[in-house]
Amino acid sequence: MPNFSDYAFRETVSNLWRNRLMTIAAILTVTISLTLVGAALLLKQGAANAAQIWQRDTQVSVWMAPTASPSEIAAVGSQLNQLPYVRACVYRGQAYDYEEARKLLTPAEFSVLRVGDMPTSYRCTPLQSQDAQIIVNRFMTQPGVQNVRAPLQQIHAMQQTITVLQWVFLVIALVLLLSAAVLIINTIRLAIFARRREISVMKLVGATNWFIRIPFMAEGLTQGILGSGFAALLVYGLHVWLNALGNPNNPNAILTQISVHGWQMFWTEAVLFGFGALIGGVGSSLAIRRFLDV
Amino acid sequence: MITFENVTKIYKAETPALDNVSVDIDKGEFVFLVGSSGSGKTTFLRLLLREEAPSKGRIIEAGRDLGSLPKWRVPFLRRNIGCVFQDFRLLPNKSVFENVAFALEVIGRPKSVVKSQVPQVLELVGLGQKMERLPSELSGGEQQRVAVARAFVNRPLILLADEPTGNLDPTTSEGIMTLLDRINRTGTTVVMATHDKQMVDRMRRRVLELDHGVLVRDQSRGVYGIDDSAGSQA
Ligand SMILES: Nc1ncnc2c1ncn2[C@@H]1O[C@H](COP(=O)(O)OP(=O)(O)OP(=O)(O)O)[C@@H](O)[C@H]1O
Ligand SMILES: [Mg+2]
Repeated sequence: MPNFSDYAFRETVSNLWRNRLMTIAAILTVTISLTLVGAALLLKQGAANAAQIWQRDTQVSVWMAPTASPSEIAAVGSQLNQLPYVRACVYRGQAYDYEEARKLLTPAEFSVLRVGDMPTSYRCTPLQSQDAQIIVNRFMTQPGVQNVRAPLQQIHAMQQTITVLQWVFLVIALVLLLSAAVLIINTIRLAIFARRREISVMKLVGATNWFIRIPFMAEGLTQGILGSGFAALLVYGLHVWLNALGNPNNPNAILTQISVHGWQMFWTEAVLFGFGALIGGVGSSLAIRRFLDV
Repeated sequence: MITFENVTKIYKAETPALDNVSVDIDKGEFVFLVGSSGSGKTTFLRLLLREEAPSKGRIIEAGRDLGSLPKWRVPFLRRNIGCVFQDFRLLPNKSVFENVAFALEVIGRPKSVVKSQVPQVLELVGLGQKMERLPSELSGGEQQRVAVARAFVNRPLILLADEPTGNLDPTTSEGIMTLLDRINRTGTTVVMATHDKQMVDRMRRRVLELDHGVLVRDQSRGVYGIDDSAGSQA
Protein backbone atom coordinates (compact mmCIF):
# COMPACT_ATOMS: atom_id res chain seq x y z
CA MET A 1 0.00 0.00 0.00
CA PRO A 2 2.26 2.86 -1.18
CA ASN A 3 -0.53 5.26 -0.33
CA PHE A 4 -0.36 4.19 3.28
CA SER A 5 3.38 4.28 3.77
CA ASP A 6 3.29 7.71 2.21
CA TYR A 7 0.60 8.80 4.62
CA ALA A 8 2.26 7.22 7.67
CA PHE A 9 5.58 8.84 6.82
CA ARG A 10 4.04 12.29 6.38
CA GLU A 11 2.06 11.98 9.61
CA THR A 12 5.06 10.77 11.59
CA VAL A 13 7.32 13.57 10.41
CA SER A 14 4.68 16.20 11.04
CA ASN A 15 3.98 14.81 14.54
CA LEU A 16 7.67 14.87 15.37
CA TRP A 17 8.02 18.40 14.04
CA ARG A 18 4.94 19.66 15.83
CA ASN A 19 6.29 18.41 19.18
CA ARG A 20 9.90 19.16 18.39
CA LEU A 21 10.91 20.38 21.86
CA MET A 22 9.49 17.33 23.56
CA THR A 23 10.92 15.16 20.82
CA ILE A 24 14.40 16.58 21.34
CA ALA A 25 14.10 16.09 25.09
CA ALA A 26 13.03 12.49 24.61
CA ILE A 27 15.80 11.75 22.11
CA LEU A 28 18.44 13.35 24.34
CA THR A 29 17.32 11.36 27.34
CA VAL A 30 17.40 8.15 25.34
CA THR A 31 20.85 9.11 24.08
CA ILE A 32 22.29 9.81 27.51
CA SER A 33 20.81 6.75 29.15
CA LEU A 34 21.87 4.43 26.35
CA THR A 35 25.35 5.95 26.30
CA LEU A 36 25.62 5.00 29.96
CA VAL A 37 24.34 1.53 29.21
CA GLY A 38 26.90 1.26 26.42
CA ALA A 39 29.71 2.50 28.66
CA ALA A 40 28.72 0.00 31.34
CA LEU A 41 28.70 -2.80 28.76
CA LEU A 42 32.11 -1.76 27.45
CA LEU A 43 33.49 -1.65 30.99
CA LYS A 44 32.10 -5.06 31.75
CA GLN A 45 33.59 -6.61 28.64
CA GLY A 46 36.83 -4.70 29.02
CA ALA A 47 37.15 -5.86 32.62
CA ALA A 48 36.57 -9.42 31.53
CA ASN A 49 39.24 -9.08 28.84
CA ALA A 50 41.67 -7.50 31.31
CA ALA A 51 40.98 -10.16 33.92
CA GLN A 52 42.00 -12.80 31.42
CA ILE A 53 45.29 -11.03 30.76
CA TRP A 54 45.90 -10.49 34.47
CA GLN A 55 45.12 -14.05 35.38
CA ARG A 56 47.35 -15.36 32.67
CA ASP A 57 50.09 -13.21 34.13
CA THR A 58 49.46 -13.83 37.80
CA GLN A 59 52.94 -14.69 38.73
CA VAL A 60 53.94 -15.33 42.28
CA SER A 61 57.44 -14.13 42.97
CA VAL A 62 59.28 -15.87 45.79
CA TRP A 63 62.20 -13.57 46.62
CA MET A 64 65.15 -15.23 48.29
CA ALA A 65 67.11 -13.43 50.94
CA PRO A 66 70.60 -12.31 49.80
CA THR A 67 71.92 -14.39 52.68
CA ALA A 68 70.18 -17.60 51.56
CA SER A 69 72.49 -20.56 51.12
CA PRO A 70 72.47 -22.51 47.85
CA SER A 71 70.86 -25.48 49.61
CA GLU A 72 68.03 -23.33 50.93
CA ILE A 73 67.48 -21.96 47.42
CA ALA A 74 67.44 -25.47 46.00
CA ALA A 75 65.03 -26.69 48.74
CA VAL A 76 62.55 -23.93 47.98
CA GLY A 77 62.83 -24.67 44.27
CA SER A 78 62.11 -28.39 44.61
CA GLN A 79 59.20 -27.79 47.02
CA LEU A 80 57.65 -25.29 44.64
CA ASN A 81 57.89 -27.68 41.73
CA GLN A 82 56.21 -30.46 43.71
CA LEU A 83 53.10 -28.42 44.48
CA PRO A 84 50.11 -29.75 42.49
CA TYR A 85 48.61 -26.29 41.94
CA VAL A 86 51.72 -24.75 40.46
CA ARG A 87 52.00 -24.98 36.74
CA ALA A 88 55.61 -24.01 36.39
CA CYS A 89 58.38 -22.19 38.17
CA VAL A 90 61.47 -20.56 36.79
CA TYR A 91 64.49 -19.50 38.72
CA ARG A 92 65.76 -16.00 38.04
CA GLY A 93 69.38 -15.57 38.96
CA GLN A 94 71.14 -12.34 39.80
CA ALA A 95 72.21 -11.72 36.20
CA TYR A 96 68.61 -11.89 34.99
CA ASP A 97 67.36 -9.41 37.54
CA TYR A 98 70.27 -7.16 36.77
CA GLU A 99 69.15 -7.06 33.13
CA GLU A 100 65.53 -6.47 34.19
CA ALA A 101 66.65 -3.56 36.32
CA ARG A 102 68.50 -2.08 33.38
CA LYS A 103 65.24 -1.96 31.47
CA LEU A 104 63.14 -0.54 34.27
CA LEU A 105 65.46 2.05 35.81
CA THR A 106 66.97 5.28 34.55
CA PRO A 107 70.69 5.07 33.69
CA ALA A 108 71.57 7.17 36.76
CA GLU A 109 69.70 4.87 39.11
CA PHE A 110 71.00 1.79 37.35
CA SER A 111 74.61 2.83 37.55
CA VAL A 112 74.73 2.36 41.32
CA LEU A 113 73.55 -1.28 41.15
CA ARG A 114 75.96 -4.22 41.30
CA VAL A 115 75.14 -7.70 40.09
CA GLY A 116 76.03 -9.05 43.50
CA ASP A 117 73.35 -6.86 45.16
CA MET A 118 70.55 -8.32 43.12
CA PRO A 119 68.15 -10.70 44.86
CA THR A 120 67.30 -14.01 43.27
CA SER A 121 63.76 -15.28 42.88
CA TYR A 122 61.45 -18.01 41.72
CA ARG A 123 58.65 -16.85 39.36
CA CYS A 124 55.75 -19.29 39.57
CA THR A 125 52.52 -19.45 37.60
CA PRO A 126 49.74 -21.12 39.60
CA LEU A 127 47.18 -23.25 37.78
CA GLN A 128 44.47 -20.94 39.05
CA SER A 129 45.00 -17.39 40.14
CA GLN A 130 43.25 -18.03 43.48
CA ASP A 131 46.00 -20.50 44.41
CA ALA A 132 48.53 -17.69 44.41
CA GLN A 133 47.49 -16.75 47.94
CA ILE A 134 48.27 -20.29 49.20
CA ILE A 135 51.79 -20.02 47.84
CA VAL A 136 52.21 -16.67 49.53
CA ASN A 137 51.10 -18.08 52.91
CA ARG A 138 53.14 -21.22 52.61
CA PHE A 139 56.55 -19.80 51.65
CA MET A 140 56.51 -16.57 53.63
CA THR A 141 58.11 -18.30 56.65
CA GLN A 142 60.39 -20.69 54.76
CA PRO A 143 64.10 -20.31 55.72
CA GLY A 144 66.04 -18.31 53.18
CA VAL A 145 62.90 -16.63 51.79
CA GLN A 146 62.80 -12.90 52.13
CA ASN A 147 59.40 -12.10 50.68
CA VAL A 148 56.59 -13.59 48.56
CA ARG A 149 54.56 -11.33 46.34
CA ALA A 150 51.45 -11.89 44.25
CA PRO A 151 49.68 -9.01 42.47
CA LEU A 152 46.38 -10.23 43.92
CA GLN A 153 45.22 -7.31 46.00
CA GLN A 154 45.72 -4.91 43.14
CA ILE A 155 43.76 -7.05 40.73
CA HIS A 156 41.03 -7.50 43.25
CA ALA A 157 40.74 -3.79 43.96
CA MET A 158 40.71 -3.03 40.27
CA GLN A 159 37.99 -5.52 39.56
CA GLN A 160 35.91 -4.23 42.43
CA THR A 161 36.22 -0.67 41.22
CA ILE A 162 35.13 -1.70 37.77
CA THR A 163 32.18 -3.66 39.14
CA VAL A 164 31.02 -0.74 41.27
CA LEU A 165 31.41 1.65 38.35
CA GLN A 166 29.45 -0.71 36.15
CA TRP A 167 26.56 -0.88 38.61
CA VAL A 168 26.52 2.87 39.12
CA PHE A 169 26.33 3.35 35.35
CA LEU A 170 23.60 0.77 35.03
CA VAL A 171 21.45 2.22 37.83
CA ILE A 172 21.73 5.75 36.46
CA ALA A 173 21.01 4.39 32.99
CA LEU A 174 17.93 2.58 34.27
CA VAL A 175 16.56 5.72 35.91
CA LEU A 176 17.23 7.68 32.73
CA LEU A 177 15.67 4.99 30.58
CA LEU A 178 12.53 5.23 32.69
CA SER A 179 12.42 8.98 32.27
CA ALA A 180 13.04 8.54 28.55
CA ALA A 181 10.03 6.23 28.41
CA VAL A 182 7.93 8.79 30.25
CA LEU A 183 9.06 11.51 27.85
CA ILE A 184 8.24 9.36 24.85
CA ILE A 185 4.81 8.56 26.28
CA ASN A 186 4.23 12.24 26.84
CA THR A 187 5.24 13.33 23.34
CA ILE A 188 2.92 10.75 21.89
CA ARG A 189 0.14 11.82 24.21
CA LEU A 190 0.60 15.37 22.92
CA ALA A 191 0.65 14.14 19.33
CA ILE A 192 -2.55 12.20 19.90
CA PHE A 193 -4.13 15.22 21.52
CA ALA A 194 -3.10 17.48 18.64
CA ARG A 195 -4.61 14.96 16.22
CA ARG A 196 -7.83 14.23 18.10
CA ARG A 197 -10.10 15.68 15.38
CA GLU A 198 -8.36 13.72 12.64
CA ILE A 199 -8.50 10.58 14.77
CA SER A 200 -12.23 10.92 15.41
CA VAL A 201 -12.89 11.44 11.69
CA MET A 202 -10.69 8.46 10.84
CA LYS A 203 -12.64 6.24 13.22
CA LEU A 204 -15.88 7.50 11.78
CA VAL A 205 -15.05 6.76 8.16
CA GLY A 206 -13.64 3.33 8.97
CA ALA A 207 -9.86 3.64 9.10
CA THR A 208 -8.47 0.49 10.68
CA ASN A 209 -6.98 0.62 14.15
CA TRP A 210 -3.52 -0.08 12.79
CA PHE A 211 -3.82 2.66 10.25
CA ILE A 212 -4.54 5.09 13.06
CA ARG A 213 -1.89 3.70 15.39
CA ILE A 214 1.08 3.23 13.11
CA PRO A 215 2.09 6.90 12.74
CA PHE A 216 2.22 7.18 16.54
CA MET A 217 4.10 3.90 16.88
CA ALA A 218 6.51 5.15 14.24
CA GLU A 219 6.94 8.37 16.17
CA GLY A 220 7.96 6.53 19.35
CA LEU A 221 10.21 4.16 17.45
CA THR A 222 11.87 7.05 15.64
CA GLN A 223 12.65 8.74 18.93
CA GLY A 224 14.01 5.55 20.46
CA ILE A 225 16.10 4.63 17.44
CA LEU A 226 17.43 8.15 16.86
CA GLY A 227 18.40 8.28 20.54
CA SER A 228 20.15 4.92 20.33
CA GLY A 229 21.87 6.01 17.11
CA PHE A 230 23.41 9.01 18.84
CA ALA A 231 24.29 6.84 21.83
CA ALA A 232 25.97 4.32 19.52
CA LEU A 233 28.05 7.12 18.01
CA LEU A 234 29.04 8.42 21.45
CA VAL A 235 29.94 4.96 22.71
CA TYR A 236 31.98 4.31 19.59
CA GLY A 237 33.71 7.63 20.13
CA LEU A 238 34.45 6.63 23.72
CA HIS A 239 35.89 3.35 22.49
CA VAL A 240 38.14 5.09 19.97
CA TRP A 241 39.20 7.67 22.52
CA LEU A 242 40.10 5.07 25.15
CA ASN A 243 42.05 3.11 22.56
CA ALA A 244 43.96 6.24 21.66
CA LEU A 245 44.70 6.91 25.33
CA GLY A 246 45.85 3.36 25.95
CA ASN A 247 49.32 2.87 24.48
CA PRO A 248 49.15 -0.11 22.13
CA ASN A 249 52.91 -0.61 22.48
CA ASN A 250 52.59 -1.10 26.20
CA PRO A 251 50.60 -4.24 26.90
CA ASN A 252 50.77 -3.50 30.61
CA ALA A 253 48.80 -0.23 30.45
CA ILE A 254 45.40 -0.70 32.01
CA LEU A 255 43.59 1.19 29.26
CA THR A 256 45.06 -1.22 26.76
CA GLN A 257 44.10 -4.18 28.85
CA ILE A 258 40.47 -3.15 29.33
CA SER A 259 39.91 -2.29 25.67
CA VAL A 260 37.35 -4.40 23.83
CA HIS A 261 37.51 -6.29 20.57
CA GLY A 262 35.79 -5.12 17.39
CA TRP A 263 33.09 -7.77 17.56
CA GLN A 264 32.35 -6.89 21.17
CA MET A 265 31.91 -3.28 20.07
CA PHE A 266 29.56 -4.42 17.32
CA TRP A 267 27.37 -6.37 19.74
CA THR A 268 27.34 -3.51 22.20
CA GLU A 269 26.07 -1.17 19.49
CA ALA A 270 23.50 -3.74 18.41
CA VAL A 271 22.27 -4.03 22.01
CA LEU A 272 21.95 -0.24 22.19
CA PHE A 273 19.83 -0.15 19.03
CA GLY A 274 17.73 -2.97 20.44
CA PHE A 275 17.18 -1.04 23.65
CA GLY A 276 16.33 2.13 21.73
CA ALA A 277 13.75 0.37 19.61
CA LEU A 278 12.38 -1.38 22.69
CA ILE A 279 11.96 1.79 24.71
CA GLY A 280 10.39 3.60 21.75
CA GLY A 281 8.08 0.69 21.03
CA VAL A 282 7.03 0.13 24.61
CA GLY A 283 6.59 3.86 25.23
CA SER A 284 4.40 4.37 22.20
CA SER A 285 2.39 1.20 22.84
CA LEU A 286 1.66 2.35 26.37
CA ALA A 287 0.69 5.82 25.16
CA ILE A 288 -1.54 4.40 22.45
CA ARG A 289 -3.19 1.98 24.80
CA ARG A 290 -3.74 4.67 27.36
CA PHE A 291 -4.65 7.70 25.24
CA LEU A 292 -5.77 6.43 21.84
CA ASP A 293 -9.16 4.88 22.30
CA VAL A 294 -9.29 2.63 19.25
CA MET B 1 -30.93 -3.14 5.96
CA ILE B 2 -31.29 -2.31 9.67
CA THR B 3 -33.03 -4.49 12.25
CA PHE B 4 -33.37 -3.81 15.98
CA GLU B 5 -34.63 -6.78 18.00
CA ASN B 6 -35.68 -5.86 21.54
CA VAL B 7 -32.72 -3.54 21.91
CA THR B 8 -32.12 -1.99 25.31
CA LYS B 9 -29.25 0.34 26.07
CA ILE B 10 -28.41 1.26 29.65
CA TYR B 11 -25.43 3.56 30.07
CA LYS B 12 -25.25 3.49 33.84
CA ALA B 13 -27.42 1.75 36.33
CA GLU B 14 -30.22 4.27 35.77
CA THR B 15 -33.14 4.40 33.40
CA PRO B 16 -32.40 2.98 29.96
CA ALA B 17 -31.52 5.35 27.09
CA LEU B 18 -33.23 2.87 24.76
CA ASP B 19 -35.89 0.56 26.12
CA ASN B 20 -36.78 -2.66 24.30
CA VAL B 21 -36.79 -1.13 20.82
CA SER B 22 -37.70 -3.34 17.86
CA VAL B 23 -37.78 -1.93 14.35
CA ASP B 24 -37.03 -2.89 10.76
CA ILE B 25 -35.68 -0.43 8.21
CA ASP B 26 -35.48 -1.56 4.60
CA LYS B 27 -32.90 -0.75 2.00
CA GLY B 28 -33.48 2.63 0.42
CA GLU B 29 -35.83 3.93 3.11
CA PHE B 30 -35.71 7.46 4.50
CA VAL B 31 -36.45 7.53 8.22
CA PHE B 32 -36.87 10.47 10.58
CA LEU B 33 -36.00 9.87 14.21
CA VAL B 34 -37.86 12.29 16.45
CA GLY B 35 -38.41 12.78 20.15
CA SER B 36 -37.67 15.30 22.85
CA SER B 37 -34.18 15.93 24.09
CA GLY B 38 -32.72 12.92 25.88
CA SER B 39 -35.23 10.51 24.35
CA GLY B 40 -32.45 8.33 22.88
CA LYS B 41 -32.06 9.43 19.24
CA THR B 42 -28.29 9.84 19.37
CA THR B 43 -28.01 6.57 21.27
CA PHE B 44 -29.91 4.87 18.45
CA LEU B 45 -27.40 6.18 15.91
CA ARG B 46 -24.37 5.39 18.08
CA LEU B 47 -25.51 1.79 18.31
CA LEU B 48 -25.67 1.67 14.51
CA LEU B 49 -22.13 3.05 14.33
CA ARG B 50 -21.04 0.41 16.82
CA GLU B 51 -19.70 3.17 19.05
CA GLU B 52 -21.78 1.54 21.74
CA ALA B 53 -23.00 -2.01 22.15
CA PRO B 54 -26.58 -2.76 23.23
CA SER B 55 -27.08 -3.94 26.80
CA LYS B 56 -29.74 -6.34 25.60
CA GLY B 57 -31.15 -7.40 22.25
CA ARG B 58 -29.75 -7.79 18.76
CA ILE B 59 -28.90 -5.38 15.94
CA ILE B 60 -28.49 -6.56 12.36
CA GLU B 61 -27.08 -4.03 9.96
CA ALA B 62 -26.12 -4.45 6.29
CA GLY B 63 -26.49 -8.19 6.76
CA ARG B 64 -24.20 -8.39 9.80
CA ASP B 65 -25.11 -9.20 13.38
CA LEU B 66 -23.32 -6.47 15.32
CA GLY B 67 -23.23 -8.59 18.46
CA SER B 68 -20.99 -11.18 16.84
CA LEU B 69 -18.91 -8.67 14.89
CA PRO B 70 -15.32 -8.79 16.18
CA LYS B 71 -13.80 -5.48 17.19
CA TRP B 72 -11.32 -5.43 14.33
CA ARG B 73 -14.18 -5.68 11.80
CA VAL B 74 -15.86 -2.52 13.09
CA PRO B 75 -13.88 -0.18 10.78
CA PHE B 76 -15.02 -2.25 7.80
CA LEU B 77 -18.62 -1.97 8.97
CA ARG B 78 -18.22 1.80 9.19
CA ARG B 79 -17.02 1.98 5.59
CA ASN B 80 -20.62 1.13 4.67
CA ILE B 81 -22.02 3.89 6.87
CA GLY B 82 -21.79 7.60 6.22
CA CYS B 83 -22.25 10.05 9.08
CA VAL B 84 -23.27 13.69 9.39
CA PHE B 85 -23.49 15.66 12.63
CA GLN B 86 -24.92 18.91 13.84
CA ASP B 87 -21.42 20.34 14.34
CA PHE B 88 -20.07 19.32 10.88
CA ARG B 89 -16.79 17.90 12.31
CA LEU B 90 -14.61 19.14 9.48
CA LEU B 91 -10.85 19.41 9.83
CA PRO B 92 -10.16 23.15 10.04
CA ASN B 93 -6.66 23.05 8.58
CA LYS B 94 -7.63 21.06 5.49
CA SER B 95 -9.31 22.45 2.40
CA VAL B 96 -12.74 21.34 1.25
CA PHE B 97 -11.12 18.95 -1.23
CA GLU B 98 -8.71 17.58 1.39
CA ASN B 99 -11.46 17.07 3.94
CA VAL B 100 -13.38 14.86 1.56
CA ALA B 101 -10.26 13.18 0.19
CA PHE B 102 -9.16 12.35 3.75
CA ALA B 103 -12.12 9.99 4.15
CA LEU B 104 -10.92 7.98 1.15
CA GLU B 105 -7.20 8.17 1.91
CA VAL B 106 -7.46 6.79 5.42
CA ILE B 107 -9.27 3.70 4.20
CA GLY B 108 -6.50 3.11 1.68
CA ARG B 109 -8.22 4.13 -1.54
CA PRO B 110 -5.73 4.74 -4.33
CA LYS B 111 -4.90 8.27 -5.43
CA SER B 112 -6.62 7.81 -8.77
CA VAL B 113 -9.92 7.03 -7.03
CA VAL B 114 -9.49 10.06 -4.79
CA LYS B 115 -8.80 12.29 -7.79
CA SER B 116 -11.92 11.19 -9.64
CA GLN B 117 -14.41 10.70 -6.79
CA VAL B 118 -13.83 13.83 -4.72
CA PRO B 119 -14.56 16.45 -7.40
CA GLN B 120 -17.55 14.43 -8.51
CA VAL B 121 -19.16 14.34 -5.06
CA LEU B 122 -18.30 18.00 -4.42
CA GLU B 123 -20.05 18.83 -7.67
CA LEU B 124 -23.06 16.84 -6.43
CA VAL B 125 -23.31 18.92 -3.23
CA GLY B 126 -22.83 22.15 -5.21
CA LEU B 127 -19.32 23.03 -4.04
CA GLY B 128 -17.46 22.30 -7.26
CA GLN B 129 -16.24 25.90 -7.36
CA LYS B 130 -15.02 26.06 -3.74
CA MET B 131 -12.81 23.00 -3.45
CA GLU B 132 -9.72 24.92 -2.36
CA ARG B 133 -11.40 26.90 0.42
CA LEU B 134 -10.86 26.21 4.10
CA PRO B 135 -13.95 25.36 6.18
CA SER B 136 -13.59 28.71 7.98
CA GLU B 137 -14.13 30.42 4.62
CA LEU B 138 -17.53 28.77 4.13
CA SER B 139 -21.01 29.43 5.49
CA GLY B 140 -22.55 26.92 7.91
CA GLY B 141 -24.71 25.45 5.18
CA GLU B 142 -21.72 25.03 2.89
CA GLN B 143 -19.74 23.40 5.68
CA GLN B 144 -22.53 20.92 6.21
CA ARG B 145 -22.51 20.19 2.48
CA VAL B 146 -18.83 19.33 2.75
CA ALA B 147 -19.68 17.01 5.64
CA VAL B 148 -22.39 15.36 3.53
CA ALA B 149 -19.93 15.00 0.65
CA ARG B 150 -17.43 13.36 3.00
CA ALA B 151 -20.09 10.98 4.31
CA PHE B 152 -21.22 10.05 0.82
CA VAL B 153 -17.95 9.93 -1.10
CA ASN B 154 -17.41 6.24 -0.37
CA ARG B 155 -20.99 5.44 -1.55
CA PRO B 156 -22.18 4.00 1.77
CA LEU B 157 -25.21 1.75 2.06
CA ILE B 158 -26.48 3.75 5.01
CA LEU B 159 -26.29 7.45 5.82
CA LEU B 160 -26.83 8.48 9.45
CA ALA B 161 -27.52 12.12 10.23
CA ASP B 162 -27.77 13.46 13.79
CA GLU B 163 -29.61 16.80 13.65
CA PRO B 164 -27.75 17.85 10.51
CA THR B 165 -29.77 21.05 10.25
CA GLY B 166 -29.68 21.85 13.97
CA ASN B 167 -27.28 24.77 13.45
CA LEU B 168 -28.76 26.10 10.21
CA ASP B 169 -31.47 28.57 9.29
CA PRO B 170 -34.64 27.23 7.60
CA THR B 171 -33.65 28.08 4.03
CA THR B 172 -30.22 26.53 4.38
CA SER B 173 -31.75 23.53 6.11
CA GLU B 174 -33.98 23.11 3.12
CA GLY B 175 -30.94 22.82 0.89
CA ILE B 176 -29.34 20.16 3.07
CA MET B 177 -32.61 18.30 3.22
CA THR B 178 -32.88 18.31 -0.57
CA LEU B 179 -29.36 16.96 -0.74
CA LEU B 180 -30.08 14.11 1.67
CA ASP B 181 -33.22 13.35 -0.28
CA ARG B 182 -31.21 13.18 -3.49
CA ILE B 183 -28.72 10.85 -1.85
CA ASN B 184 -31.60 8.70 -0.63
CA ARG B 185 -32.86 8.42 -4.20
CA THR B 186 -29.55 6.81 -5.22
CA GLY B 187 -30.60 3.87 -3.05
CA THR B 188 -28.82 4.86 0.15
CA THR B 189 -30.77 4.21 3.33
CA VAL B 190 -30.99 7.43 5.37
CA VAL B 191 -31.72 7.69 9.09
CA MET B 192 -31.97 11.26 10.32
CA ALA B 193 -32.51 12.40 13.89
CA THR B 194 -34.10 15.83 13.98
CA HIS B 195 -36.05 18.41 15.92
CA ASP B 196 -37.11 20.21 12.74
CA LYS B 197 -40.90 19.97 12.78
CA GLN B 198 -41.53 21.82 9.53
CA MET B 199 -39.15 19.65 7.61
CA VAL B 200 -40.58 16.37 8.89
CA ASP B 201 -44.10 17.54 8.22
CA ARG B 202 -43.22 18.68 4.71
CA MET B 203 -41.24 15.59 3.66
CA ARG B 204 -43.83 13.04 4.82
CA ARG B 205 -41.44 10.16 5.26
CA ARG B 206 -41.39 7.34 7.77
CA VAL B 207 -41.16 8.69 11.34
CA LEU B 208 -39.91 6.85 14.43
CA GLU B 209 -40.66 8.63 17.67
CA LEU B 210 -38.79 7.87 20.87
CA ASP B 211 -39.93 8.88 24.32
CA HIS B 212 -37.59 8.18 27.22
CA GLY B 213 -36.01 5.42 25.19
CA VAL B 214 -39.29 3.77 24.24
CA LEU B 215 -40.35 3.60 20.59
CA VAL B 216 -43.80 5.14 20.88
CA ARG B 217 -44.58 5.69 17.22
CA ASP B 218 -43.61 4.12 13.88
CA GLN B 219 -45.48 5.92 11.16
CA SER B 220 -44.99 5.73 7.44
CA ARG B 221 -45.40 9.06 5.62
CA GLY B 222 -45.57 10.54 9.12
CA VAL B 223 -45.41 13.94 10.76
CA TYR B 224 -43.33 15.41 13.57
CA GLY B 225 -45.82 15.77 16.43
CA ILE B 226 -48.22 13.09 17.58
CA ASP B 227 -50.92 15.71 18.17
CA ASP B 228 -51.05 16.23 14.43
CA SER B 229 -52.57 12.71 14.60
CA ALA B 230 -52.44 12.22 10.85
CA GLY B 231 -52.38 8.46 10.41
CA SER B 232 -50.77 7.74 13.77
CA GLN B 233 -50.26 4.06 14.52
CA ALA B 234 -48.27 4.22 17.76
N1 LIG C 1 -22.24 8.39 27.12
C1 LIG C 1 -23.30 8.44 27.94
N2 LIG C 1 -23.17 8.07 29.23
C2 LIG C 1 -24.22 8.09 30.08
N3 LIG C 1 -25.44 8.49 29.71
C3 LIG C 1 -25.65 8.88 28.44
C4 LIG C 1 -24.58 8.89 27.50
N4 LIG C 1 -25.06 9.32 26.31
C5 LIG C 1 -26.36 9.58 26.51
N5 LIG C 1 -26.73 9.32 27.79
C6 LIG C 1 -28.09 9.44 28.35
O1 LIG C 1 -28.95 8.67 27.57
C7 LIG C 1 -30.18 9.38 27.35
C8 LIG C 1 -30.44 9.51 25.86
O2 LIG C 1 -29.47 10.37 25.31
P1 LIG C 1 -29.38 10.69 23.76
O3 LIG C 1 -28.13 11.46 23.53
O4 LIG C 1 -29.55 9.43 23.01
O5 LIG C 1 -30.64 11.62 23.55
P2 LIG C 1 -31.08 12.44 22.26
O6 LIG C 1 -32.42 11.97 21.92
O7 LIG C 1 -30.03 12.36 21.21
O8 LIG C 1 -31.14 13.91 22.83
P3 LIG C 1 -30.91 15.30 22.04
O9 LIG C 1 -32.12 15.55 21.23
O10 LIG C 1 -30.75 16.31 23.14
O11 LIG C 1 -29.68 15.12 21.23
C9 LIG C 1 -30.05 10.69 28.07
O12 LIG C 1 -30.70 10.56 29.32
C10 LIG C 1 -28.57 10.88 28.26
O13 LIG C 1 -28.32 11.56 29.46
MG1 LIG D 1 -28.72 13.75 20.29
